Amino acid sequence: MLFFRKYHNKKKQHSSFQIQNNDISKKLISSLLLENIAEIQNIFSDTPDLVVKNIVIKQTKCPAALVYLSGLTDTKTINNHILSPLLFGAEKEEKDFEVQVSVGNVKEKNTWQEIENAILQGNSVLFMDNQNKAFIFDTQGWPQRGIEETTIESSLRGEHLGFTETGSTNIALIRRHIQNRELKMKEMTVGARGNLKLTIMYLADVAKPEVLKELVDRINKLDVDSIINAASLAEYIEDNPYSPFPQLFLTERPDFAAAEILQGRIVTVVDRSPNVLVGPATFETFFKSMDDYGSRWQVASFIRLMRYFGFLVAIFLPATYIAVISFHFEIIPLKLLLSVGASREKVPFPPFIEAIIMEITLEMLREAGIRLPAKIGQTVGIVGGIVIGQAAVEAGIVSNIMVIVVALTAIASFIIPNYDMGAAIRMLRFPMMIVASLFGFVGLTVGLMTLIAHFIALESLGTPYGSPIAPLRFPDWKDVFIRFPEWSMIKRPESTRAIQRRKANSNRPKGDEH
Amino acid sequence: MKYTQNQITFMQFIFLIHGVQLGVGLLTLPRELAEKAGTDGWIGLIIGWLFSTLASLIIIQVMKNYPNGTIIDLLTHYFGKWFGKLASFIFVLYFAFLGSIVFVREGLFIQFWILPQTDLVILLFLLSIPSYLIVRNNISILGRYAELVFFLTTWMLFFYFTPLKEAHWLHLLPIIKEGWKPILTAAKTTIFSFLGFEVAFFLYPFLQKKHKASIGIFIANTLTLVVFLIVTIVAFTFYSPDEITQYKEPTINLLKIVEFKFLERLEIVFLSLYIFVISTTVLPLFFATVFSASQLFGKQDHSKYVVWLLLLNLVYVFFLPQSFDKNTQLQKVSESISLILVYAFPLCLWVYLWLYSRFKRRPLK
Repeated sequence: MLFFRKYHNKKKQHSSFQIQNNDISKKLISSLLLENIAEIQNIFSDTPDLVVKNIVIKQTKCPAALVYLSGLTDTKTINNHILSPLLFGAEKEEKDFEVQVSVGNVKEKNTWQEIENAILQGNSVLFMDNQNKAFIFDTQGWPQRGIEETTIESSLRGEHLGFTETGSTNIALIRRHIQNRELKMKEMTVGARGNLKLTIMYLADVAKPEVLKELVDRINKLDVDSIINAASLAEYIEDNPYSPFPQLFLTERPDFAAAEILQGRIVTVVDRSPNVLVGPATFETFFKSMDDYGSRWQVASFIRLMRYFGFLVAIFLPATYIAVISFHFEIIPLKLLLSVGASREKVPFPPFIEAIIMEITLEMLREAGIRLPAKIGQTVGIVGGIVIGQAAVEAGIVSNIMVIVVALTAIASFIIPNYDMGAAIRMLRFPMMIVASLFGFVGLTVGLMTLIAHFIALESLGTPYGSPIAPLRFPDWKDVFIRFPEWSMIKRPESTRAIQRRKANSNRPKGDEH
Repeated sequence: MKYTQNQITFMQFIFLIHGVQLGVGLLTLPRELAEKAGTDGWIGLIIGWLFSTLASLIIIQVMKNYPNGTIIDLLTHYFGKWFGKLASFIFVLYFAFLGSIVFVREGLFIQFWILPQTDLVILLFLLSIPSYLIVRNNISILGRYAELVFFLTTWMLFFYFTPLKEAHWLHLLPIIKEGWKPILTAAKTTIFSFLGFEVAFFLYPFLQKKHKASIGIFIANTLTLVVFLIVTIVAFTFYSPDEITQYKEPTINLLKIVEFKFLERLEIVFLSLYIFVISTTVLPLFFATVFSASQLFGKQDHSKYVVWLLLLNLVYVFFLPQSFDKNTQLQKVSESISLILVYAFPLCLWVYLWLYSRFKRRPLK
């Protein structure tokens, strides 16, 4: 940890970016139109998508220039609501320009820094002769896709809208769920070159100010070129960069994000990324899915318990199998031992090698399946399935039981609803297999102990990651292994450190009362 | 005041103390009791529990005199800086000694039962990794660990009800068959089984609700007594009084009869998981060691000492071959030291502090 900080600090010293045009930051614009246009062309040299449209405003007969980047702006808005009124507007006595154009958001700025940023963000800027200020019109409009169904976190009963790459749309999607004035937002910009806009959303009377401050401080400390997606932002600001576990929750579901805000967590909307960051995350958050709240609580609880069981199976099953076969075969009853022995008879490898072969094959198949187009992906599945399922066994490279173990492990790891957590678990089983092959059950226990040691000390935004399991907080258990009925959860979980604990009054009519 | 940042809850306090008490001792306890007092040994357990509860209550009473500091702060406060240094030096030695005995014994058990061909140093090195990761943190992490391990391992106790199907309750009768003398010698053994509550010296300032400390330490002792009683009585009723002394670790042997359709030799699985239970003994002892060491040298951060302590242990085991006999001898030595440090020392201190407070108040009147 210390090493990392040292490294980080060192990196910081080197990373004072040499951005060429820093000198213009405080410079004011001139009152001469020609000078301004020359300066603009100087700033945006070699920028073919820059449009400088010289016009004469009809009303005042004043020469002016409208500047924008053609790809980032909405041409219709510019043509119909800016150029058209300016060029053909009726002559009136009024001198105010805001009346003339029919664009809602108009700002007046006079430093080059602000103007440059505005243009880069897709606004259009109007310079006029004899005016030492420029008008900035909000004409943003860039190529974007529509709102689509979520791809990774699909659900049966939950909302079918997923976040898109536009921050403002994502904010709107969350805001639709929480129409409350206490839903506050903090806007921040990150990245010297990327100018990435982050919006931190939280309920001001619920979220703990210390947690919010911690998050804001960490983002403020960032000094990078740019951040391309939410996951890399998470990597920059998370508590323990060496942990295998994800410490901030990435979601593409607006309903999940909104639900977490209501619990007292803080959501960071990252512009240009179809995911938002939810923090502080706890271990159990990664085992929840929106469908848990869409089905009967008994069903949801059953599925949850299966997920935790799947978690244990995915990490420990192959390791336990290796430990039993290579060290403690005496614990298997004779009949079972004979059938295991019969299936391993032809196999020349020790169980560890056998397991590694199968696990690696499976991981490669999985990865190949993700990246390939769907049509070829099917072929991979068939080839992989046949090779793993039959040929390998018949050739005597692996045993039948190992195939079963590996298949079970794979299924168990895919039952985890969160992709990051599932991936972490799939990774963790390899070290477990190694210690199990070296020390048997003792190795397994020590492996589990190390995992627990890491787990109980881990934090997310300064909040214990293991809560409510370690530290133990029984009141929070209503929504961990068993999902209690919604009306019985009248308090927010302590793990979010919400300052307002109570969230509802349980005034559910009881039974047959009329 | 300086310990307010990382606190432990009431439950963590209980499980930390209970965890330290419950450890390697349980594995051999039924045999040791049977050797001393036959099947009356379980009465000795209750006597031992009485003594340990009394002693732990005295410790809490002593700590109440200086609620925001450990025993070292307390001694420094009342007797001066150098006495405090001396005390922390003694505590470092004591806890390091105790911790390393249990640590080595843990390794010996694993070697004997599960991995007979593996070198002890390698086993201990393996165990050092999670130990380091936990002890280098502050006390609240240790508290969480104790709590989690308690709930992870309690179910193991239920397997001890299986041998009861073939229990012969007559073995226990007649009660007090040979008079009180053997029972009292057994009680001497059991007093040492309950050792471990002395970590309260170091836990007390971290406890959130200090007024509950006495109840907490009482519950911890009682929990330990319950576990001891269950295991001992099951062993006494299942084995005949003569047979039981032939097993070195009757607690483990008992499980040999538990069988499932898919699992036999449960004791191997059990002992592997029992490492968790033993770790809750070793880790708080190690924590107390490094914590006293950091106070001795006046440092805030204790994580460096953890490495040294574990390394020292490994070096010690590497150069001096270990055996059960040697370990038991060392344990005998530690027991007599414990008697002074855990029973005599708090009692004297308590009396002194009581006199001190009376003596101090009188001139004021």
